[in-house]
Amino acid sequence: MAWENIKLAFKSMLTNKLRTFLSLLGIVIGVLSVVTILTLGNSASGSITDAIATGGTDLVTVYNTKNTSTFTEEFSETLMRNVSGIVNVTPMDSQQARVRYKDTIKNYSVNGVQSGWGDMMNISMAQGSWFTPEDNLSRRQVVVLGSQVAEDLFPGGDAVGNYISVFRTQSKRYLVIGVLDEKDATLSVSFNNVVFMPYNTMKLRISRTSTVGSYIVKVGEGIDSTTVCDNIQDYLDNLVGSDAFSVFSASTLSSIANDITGTFTTFLAAIAGISLLVGGIGIMNIMLVSVAERTREIGIRKALGASPRVIRGQFITEAIALTMVGGLIGIGLGTFISKLVTNLAGWSFKVSVPAYALSVGFSMVIGVFFGWYPAKKAAKLDPIDALNYE
Amino acid sequence: MVPVIELDNVSRYFIVGDFVVKALDQVSMQIQNGEFTAIMGPSGSGKSTLMNLIGCLDSPTSGRILIDGADVKGLSETDLAYIRNRKIGFVFQQFNLLPKLNALENVITPLLYTGDVGVAERKLRAQMALEKVGLKDRMKHRPNELSGGQKQRVAIARALVTNPSLILADEPTGALDTKTGNQIMDLFNELNSEGHTIVIVTHNDEIGRSCPRLIRIRDGKIEEKE
Repeated sequence: MAWENIKLAFKSMLTNKLRTFLSLLGIVIGVLSVVTILTLGNSASGSITDAIATGGTDLVTVYNTKNTSTFTEEFSETLMRNVSGIVNVTPMDSQQARVRYKDTIKNYSVNGVQSGWGDMMNISMAQGSWFTPEDNLSRRQVVVLGSQVAEDLFPGGDAVGNYISVFRTQSKRYLVIGVLDEKDATLSVSFNNVVFMPYNTMKLRISRTSTVGSYIVKVGEGIDSTTVCDNIQDYLDNLVGSDAFSVFSASTLSSIANDITGTFTTFLAAIAGISLLVGGIGIMNIMLVSVAERTREIGIRKALGASPRVIRGQFITEAIALTMVGGLIGIGLGTFISKLVTNLAGWSFKVSVPAYALSVGFSMVIGVFFGWYPAKKAAKLDPIDALNYE
Repeated sequence: MVPVIELDNVSRYFIVGDFVVKALDQVSMQIQNGEFTAIMGPSGSGKSTLMNLIGCLDSPTSGRILIDGADVKGLSETDLAYIRNRKIGFVFQQFNLLPKLNALENVITPLLYTGDVGVAERKLRAQMALEKVGLKDRMKHRPNELSGGQKQRVAIARALVTNPSLILADEPTGALDTKTGNQIMDLFNELNSEGHTIVIVTHNDEIGRSCPRLIRIRDGKIEEKE
């Protein structure tokens, strides 16, 4: 009987193609929106995670937020010894300063770092070379420029070997020994606008304090950086109090970003879900028309021995068939559109299985829900009235 | 032998506004197995009401209706549907074929509701029924591709296919010309000679007189029996 009902449902859908198409449209658009939004959300959040991962999910930054004097260069060692999961710690100071070459004067962030920082950050050089440990120990007045800085000050590309001036209470000349490759940073920190100098040079010439601004912590391979964040948090809470520092890692950022895209996607999908509901009302409307039109057919079937249950089943099957066909078309179109958009946006296309399951399930529920009333109406028709219906 | 249909003091009243219309008033009758009966009366005589009651499409206000000896009083819609499916084969004046289905599918339809007949047997039985009414070569035709007489033959095949206790025909020649109507009556006679029990409801005197048994009905009462 179920199979006969399915055949009947498709027969009836095909007899009135335009009407079937129009009533399907609501469901198609609803499912299409849900699938597209969920798939795009999924793909976008995947791309964000990827982008953050390239920024270094194995790095944790500890900021000295209140200039606490406990945070010294030597404290790097203390931190490494007392917190598990850390393979390297390097201090970093950052200041805004005016930088001049010939007639060009601009403000940049100047970072003092040790030579090991370069390896931790996986930097690559466009020209020249990175600092040596010797540059740091001897407090040499040398700098490495971010790509944008080099482009601003040396449009001719002849940065290496020239001297620039950095103003901070007093002006000093620094030899440019290298230029970094340009690095796109979607959500991680960009170094394109930074001037780097050896940590000790920075301490002597610019920051003039033994207090460290921040530490870059490298997490051991295979260790979750959020766990290390928690460990550092625990250790420092006891030592200096929770106000004196803040801990940050790309993984934290990544999970925040995922939370945000997740919330946003759910929100949009819920709105798209409303259009699915509207589509369902369209199905109910067409089913009521169908029952009214086929009153005589219902009467004949009842006279031939169809029980109310059989009649109800016939019309519910028809409603479900309608919504399922609409759902499948919607899934097809939604996937196609998502593929198109992810290609254009350059995201990696990630199929959202829950979106498919949700759409198919929801279409079916809508079929049952909005088909129920018309089907019940059909089942309750009086056979004599139905037979005499013109 | 138990009669196929037995009506015992059956009344059917309708309430129209403040009036009670006695469509059927204390009617008693029996239809025996193998009989070919015409129920005849002018329009408004109550013959349609009688047919609806015999066909289990309606329930009486009072009295008992027994089909193959079983009282149908108080049966649910589902049980009545079961009786219509197994015991009664309907033939209507306007044929009442399902327009989207071809002749074979139309004849198969009642077997779908029987619930215990497999796909192959359904097709076989429907083919046999169509063969019997002389439409062997019209099985794949839809109703709109058939003549009036052919449509009525499909309807008769559909009534026969479940092998019911009673074929109940309502004005079966009413929409046909005289010649085609006579052919349909010949078919009923042939079926009756093979043992089928047939009741024809009609207002046509000629049709009524041609049946072996005639029951006249007027103003909701049975007037005379022949």
